[in-house]
Parts: sequence; structure tokens; C-alpha cells
Amino acid sequence: MEAIRNALDFSDFPRLDLIVAGSVGIAFIIFPLFPHSSFAMSTMIQFLMFSLYGMGWNTIGGYGGQVDLGKAQYVGIGAYTTAVMLILWDVPFWVSMPIGMFFSVVWSFIIGYPLFRLKGHYFAIATIATSLVLKDLFEVWDFVGAARGLEISPIKYHPPDFLRLIFREDVYYFYVILGFFFLGVLYMNWFRKSRLGFQLRSIKDNEDVARSLGINVHWAKVKTYAIATAFVSMVGSFHACYIKSIEPEDTMSLDISILIALMAMLGGAGSLWGPIIGAGILIPLKSYLKEWLGAQVGLVGIDLIIYALIIMVISAFEPRGVWGIVEKFRRRKRN
Amino acid sequence: MAFLEVHNLTKDFGGLRANSNITFSMKRGELIGLIGPNGAGKTTLFNCISGLHPVTSGGIIFDEEDITKLKAHKVAQRGLARTFQVYAASGDLTVRENVMVGCFMRTHLRSRAKARATEILENLNIGDTADYLVNELPVAAQKRVTMATAIASDPKLLLLDEVAAGLNPNEIDEIMASIKHVHDDMGITVMLIEHVMELVMKISHRVIVLDYGEKIAEGDPEAISKDPRVIKAYLGERYVQEHGGMEESKE
Repeated sequence: MEAIRNALDFSDFPRLDLIVAGSVGIAFIIFPLFPHSSFAMSTMIQFLMFSLYGMGWNTIGGYGGQVDLGKAQYVGIGAYTTAVMLILWDVPFWVSMPIGMFFSVVWSFIIGYPLFRLKGHYFAIATIATSLVLKDLFEVWDFVGAARGLEISPIKYHPPDFLRLIFREDVYYFYVILGFFFLGVLYMNWFRKSRLGFQLRSIKDNEDVARSLGINVHWAKVKTYAIATAFVSMVGSFHACYIKSIEPEDTMSLDISILIALMAMLGGAGSLWGPIIGAGILIPLKSYLKEWLGAQVGLVGIDLIIYALIIMVISAFEPRGVWGIVEKFRRRKRN
Repeated sequence: MAFLEVHNLTKDFGGLRANSNITFSMKRGELIGLIGPNGAGKTTLFNCISGLHPVTSGGIIFDEEDITKLKAHKVAQRGLARTFQVYAASGDLTVRENVMVGCFMRTHLRSRAKARATEILENLNIGDTADYLVNELPVAAQKRVTMATAIASDPKLLLLDEVAAGLNPNEIDEIMASIKHVHDDMGITVMLIEHVMELVMKISHRVIVLDYGEKIAEGDPEAISKDPRVIKAYLGERYVQEHGGMEESKE
């Protein structure tokens, strides 16, 4: 009960923030009612997906300060679980998604337990390594289509299949992921004020102080890593139904892992709105640059250069990201 | 049975012996001062007792339980809290939220932690700072926040590491009153590392002196301030001349 009340309680933010957040939320809900291109719609869906990835990353990477660059492996586990179960046994999304989350969380314990003996850069590198190894395994695993990947061929389009999450129109995907997005915001609003959320900030600042306050530092990290993983895996499952074609090189690439972490850091790691702001900046930018500049001969890859530049500028100017700049103009940190 | 018993505790860092064969015991309800020159091994001793450093040899018994090999968070959960010279739990959190981190050791409920934190801050006379970030406060208030955070876990024994360092005489009087409040009214046994002799000598029941990692003296404040080894190692001739033993300074 108290958890639900805390999740719904945003009262520690200034009224301005709440008005802005509320308006943006309403704009999202009514967005499909207005004329829009399919490009805008797919960008919106990507944005919501990456916001959710970022929220997951933010638990361990932001509040916990453990820079994790291996989230793509859990996108993969979620996506592959859903795709395989749908193709082979016609299992609905709502069943395969929790199963994918379960596999992801089990895997996260297996690698998280030893990995959290490492700190800082060593931890970050180790997460990259595990993610790449898992990707390579999927590339040679025939059961999941090896490097070719898997293709979900829709059995039927009409009526919209809410059970398997197979739709012809993107608008249905939009509303499903928007629902996840709102739930994600509420969860994160609870999380940042929870016992674990507070303990993580203590761990981030000084692990010895955290220990002396009775916090089992290693276990708190492993637990949080599992939470982050569950988030990412859930969206990974959605990704499979939405894209309908998954392959290791695409779904589990290092690019995805880095993009997830960068977005959250750009927006403001360790803050509620940070990952959403970061995704709101980077995803449209990435899509548009790819669409307009990437197609020009000789400009292939320029999108990567431009967004690398933005990241460099932001991190030099304000390491706490865009939200850090907002906080600078206020006296109070609100995370 | 002693409340805290440290016997033959030795701690080596590589070739350096930071604590050498330290033995002492503490009764429930006592208030002990731990003094000694810089580098004498006082903080190392605290780190060993609170489980942050594994000891090289020797043992620690706390409340009838051998805690020598326990991890730090387990020691804390047994009711042995401490403060650090670095200040609060987290710079991202407000004062109240920092104290709540301590409260969360005993409860999972946010509402209960919040109420308890508010109560503790009021008790230590820093209730009005609750919604500030820790680094926005003056040093004296920051020191109280560390104390409040440690107390928040409802400890039986509290180790205070230099809570009066860098404070002016008024602030020292205030923090001394707070320590007394914690000890007398809240019933928490206290051991404190301190360089501010006025404070140590006035409130300690007993004083232990470390020098080069060894315990060189132990006794009531009056005896300690007259002990020639302590004067030579730490207090210096000037302190004794100014204070002339404890008789005069007590007035």
C-alpha cells in the first residue's frame, strides 16, 4: 500500500516540473490522433523503448554508480525468448515476456555475482565482454537461427492480436509501449525513494560508509542489476514483436549497450527524468541524422560523429547531464 | 562479561604494523576516549572493530558474540555503529534522507524511516536542516549529521571518529552536549577518537592512549593527564602546564 502511494507521489518536485511532465505525458497520449508520418511514429516508439532501457540502466548505473555497458545481452535474451516461443509454440507475448525476464534475471545473477567483485572501469569492461560473448554464442546457435536470426511471420493481422502483440498498424505498438512507459516512470518514482534506492546512493558515494550502515554492498548491487535486467528484458521482448526480425548482430550489438548507457548519462544519471530526457534528445537525433545524412554518399556514419560530439560537449560542461544543468539553476538536487 | 572485548588485536598493512597487540575491554554504558598522535592507529582500530579491515591476529567480542571474522555490514546489524571522518552517507541526498539510510537498517518502511529520522534530527538539535543537502551545511552541522546517521540504526555501541575536529569552542560545547545526550539519555555506549582534549577529558569515563600502534596507557582522565608516557608521546608539556592536571580544569 505504502509502495503504491510512494510511486504516485511526485510532490517533492517543483510544480513547474509536474506541469511540464504532465503536459508531455498528455501529448504522448494524444499524439497518434494528429496527422503524423510513419517515420515520426516509429521514432516515438523507439524513444519510448529506449527511455525504458535507460530507466532500467539508471537503477544500477545511475543511482548505484556502477557503469554497465552490457545491457544488450538482456535485450537479446528477452527478444529471443519471445520470438522463439512465438514461432515454435505460438506462446502469447504476455506469457513469454515474464519467462524472458526470468531467464534474464537468472543470467544476471550468474554473471552479476562474480562481476560485482570488480569496480569502476574493470566492471564496465567486464560487462561489455559478457555481452559480446553471449552475442557470439547466439550467432552460432542453430536453434535460434544462428547469425541469420529469427523472423516472426505474422499469422494474422486482423483483428489486432493483443495476445501475441502482432499488429499491422504501429499505433497499437505505440500504446502498448506507452503503457509500459508510464508504469516504468511510476516504478522508478518508487525506486528512487525506496530503501534500496537510498542504499545505492550511499554505496555510490562510499562503500565503507555504506557497509557500516549495515548495507550488504555486494548483494545490493547484484539485486539492483537484476532489476535493471528485468526492465531491459521486458522491452527486448516487445522489440521482437515490434521489429519482427531479430539477429544477434543487430539486437545484441555493442552499439545498443553503449547507446543505453549514454542516453541515461546525457539526460542525467541518477535522476528520475534523466533517461527520458536523454532518449528524447538522442533517439530523434539519431533517427533524423540516419535518415537524412546517412543516405548521402560520403556522409555514411556522420550521425555517429555528431552524437559523439554532443556527448563530449555535455560531459565536459556538466557531468550530471542535462538534468544536472537544470539543477544548477535551482538550489536543490532532486533525484 | 564485558560488553566489548578486544584482545591481542594486531593489524599489519604489508610490512607496517598499524595496531600491535591491543587489549582492552568496555562495559555497557561506558564512555571511553581513544587518543594518541596522528598515525597512532586509532582509526585503524575502529576499522578493525567495525569489520572494515580483517584483523591480522587477535579477537573481538561484542555483546557476547565473536565478531572478529564478521563482515562490516553484519557487525553493523549486530548494533555496532560508527562515524567516519568523511561526512555523510551520500551527497545526493538531503540531511533527512541521509539519516534515513541509517534507519533503513531496521525497517523497510519509508514512512517509518522518515519519522524516525526526523525524530533523531530533532534530538540532535538539527531538525531545521532536514531538507538541505549535506554539503550545504557548515562543518559542525555536517558532523552532527554523521552522528545522526550512525544513531539512526539504533546501535548499542557507537564509535565516533573525530566528531569535534575543526570546530570552534562554541561548537565543541554543543557537540559535547550531543554526545552526552546520546550516551546518557539514549543509553548508547560510546567510544570516541578525539584530538580535542577539553572534550575527551571532560566527558570520558576512561581514556585509552595509543602510540605507534601500541596501547601505552589506560585509565581515568585525571591519571592519564598526569601519566609521563602520555605527556611525552602526545599531550606535551604545554597541555599539562596550561591545565595543571584535571583538578583545576574541573573547577
